Amino acid sequence: MSSLQTALRRESGTLLKVEDLKTHFVTAGGIVRAVDGVSFSLQHGQRLGIVGESGCGKTVLSRSVMGLLPRRNVIRTGSVYFEERELTSMSLRERQTIWGAEMAMIFQDPMTSLNPVMKIGKQLSEPLRIHLGSSRENARQIVYKLLQDVGIPEPEKRFDQYAHELSGGMRQRVMIAMALACGPSVLFADEPTTALDVTVQAQILDLIEYQCRERQMSLVLVTHDLGVVAGHTDQIIVMYAGRIVEVAPTPMLFSNMKMPYTEALFQSIPKLEEPSHTRLTTIGGRPPNLISPPDGCRFSPRCPYTTDKCIKEEPELQKVGVDHYFACHHPVGSDRWKEVQVTLGRRTGGR
Amino acid sequence: MSESTVEIPEAADVRKPRFRQRGRITKWISAIWLVFIVVSAVGASFLPYVKHSCDQFSDKDKCSTHVKTNPLLSERPPSWAFFSDTTRPVVGDAPERYGLFGTDTNGYDLFSRTMFGARNSLLIGAMSILFGILIGGTLGLVAGYLGKRVDKVIDTIMNIFLAFPALLLAIFIVGFFDSSTTSEAQSRSIVPIVIALVILSIPPIARLVRANTMVYAQREFVLAARSLGAKSGRIIIREILPNVMPAMVTFAITGMAILIVAEGALAYLGLSVTAPTPTWGAMIFGGQTKLETAWWISIMPSIVLFLTVLSINLLGDALNEKFRIREAIG
Repeated sequence: MSSLQTALRRESGTLLKVEDLKTHFVTAGGIVRAVDGVSFSLQHGQRLGIVGESGCGKTVLSRSVMGLLPRRNVIRTGSVYFEERELTSMSLRERQTIWGAEMAMIFQDPMTSLNPVMKIGKQLSEPLRIHLGSSRENARQIVYKLLQDVGIPEPEKRFDQYAHELSGGMRQRVMIAMALACGPSVLFADEPTTALDVTVQAQILDLIEYQCRERQMSLVLVTHDLGVVAGHTDQIIVMYAGRIVEVAPTPMLFSNMKMPYTEALFQSIPKLEEPSHTRLTTIGGRPPNLISPPDGCRFSPRCPYTTDKCIKEEPELQKVGVDHYFACHHPVGSDRWKEVQVTLGRRTGGR
Repeated sequence: MSESTVEIPEAADVRKPRFRQRGRITKWISAIWLVFIVVSAVGASFLPYVKHSCDQFSDKDKCSTHVKTNPLLSERPPSWAFFSDTTRPVVGDAPERYGLFGTDTNGYDLFSRTMFGARNSLLIGAMSILFGILIGGTLGLVAGYLGKRVDKVIDTIMNIFLAFPALLLAIFIVGFFDSSTTSEAQSRSIVPIVIALVILSIPPIARLVRANTMVYAQREFVLAARSLGAKSGRIIIREILPNVMPAMVTFAITGMAILIVAEGALAYLGLSVTAPTPTWGAMIFGGQTKLETAWWISIMPSIVLFLTVLSINLLGDALNEKFRIREAIG
């Protein structure tokens, strides 16, 4: 009975809680506010997507949650609770016992994330031997199983191969197997499919999702591709310039987006029903310089709905529905939004 | 309905394209030369012309008798050097020209002495570079991976050593050990020379390894290993060292060649292993005063030294090619 209860508690409840996390890099040019006050929480078994343009702080966010960033010239404040344990104040030695065993990460580029001079099998057995202390032979058997789980045929053969002998998709599968090796309870996938082509992309995402469900693992999927998060997450965080601008459960975000930035991102996805040679809708300009972000709303220089209020006052996150928050003065559907829609004379969108 | 009628060429017709490597022949020639030098260095005692330094010779009496009974054997040119006049008169049955490399002032056969020299020179070179790699490599790995204060301290020390003129430093070190062991410079052994050369070789190796380590420490696979909970020691030894290895080995081989020459330079200044024990450097140094009359005393060991160093370098290049790490592309 009690074991059932613990099992139940493990499957529900908060696994990871991030409170007002700030990661600033001290550079010669000034302080770069890569992550500037981000709070969110992750439930057991939940799949969370973090979306944003390049340079919005997604990768830095995931790495600073794990605590993988270098110490030098980095200011990190706020707190990260992992199963009620504070990660930010933990010593490196303690964190090393959590890394791999409880939290694991899949990196963007499988080309560079595997050691070129180490055999695949050896790299895969590494975490097993570190955390579980398995013997060489035992680890070998687990690795075969892992390789099979991630859909790699002939695991016995792959075991003795080097990274350059595998294709990109295979390498990413190996990376996934490596992350899964010790059965972590949360998996960070930092743009796991960016370096792969589209057909392989779908396979890899399905694999990650399947493994998460199978192992009752939480997932944090970092990507710039709304299409990727749409089918594979429960909740989405939209980030812009180091801040969260909208949080919503996945279906809610797509049906009822509030933040103009989310809207703009959504519009920049090419659509099937459009005739060919339709110009892609883009978001004009670039993300702001994070050394001196604009006053007020950080999206205001690029937003079609900007008013004086946006430039003066920074919007706070406000609640609109269950688990749905956004930070905007003139959200989609407001009077200002309608007004601009009319003047633009087209559906919606950037400049 | 159209049958494809592509003819499949028979296996015999297809000429399998062979993978051709650049500089294969030079590689083999240098390998053969090195094997020859090493074998003759190891087996120097069994060489046919065993008329070398009496210290090395098991039958000392016979050796000294030989030197005493053949005073006129000294400074005979090599047997093939028809153009070289003997500077000493030919008396009795003393040969006009002698041996492959000629003889030196004491009447010792130069070929045998050169092979004995190979024994010492190669030993000094190999030992120095081995210890140099062990110490310098470790320092470089630690400095490059840990960074911060550790790196600063190690790097500063290396910079200080690099700031000294290399030869002066070596002279200083050999001199230091000389005075501390014995006042007689006669019994100088191989040890102080090896120590001097090790100290000379540490800074460049440490720097090379440090730079390489820094590059690899930034790589994602190191971050991946870290994110799986690997500790620093494990990352250095299992992730970074194998990647740094090829550069280190290649540099070590070239470095060994440099150290053999450096030993020669020390010997030229009379600071290497003392008189009866031959090294190449010492032999070249010994013959320099006779260069006008008996050129072969200096020239023959020089040629061997030159060819050996060249072979080591060429082979180092070949090894570099062989060890090239295949990065995962596309």
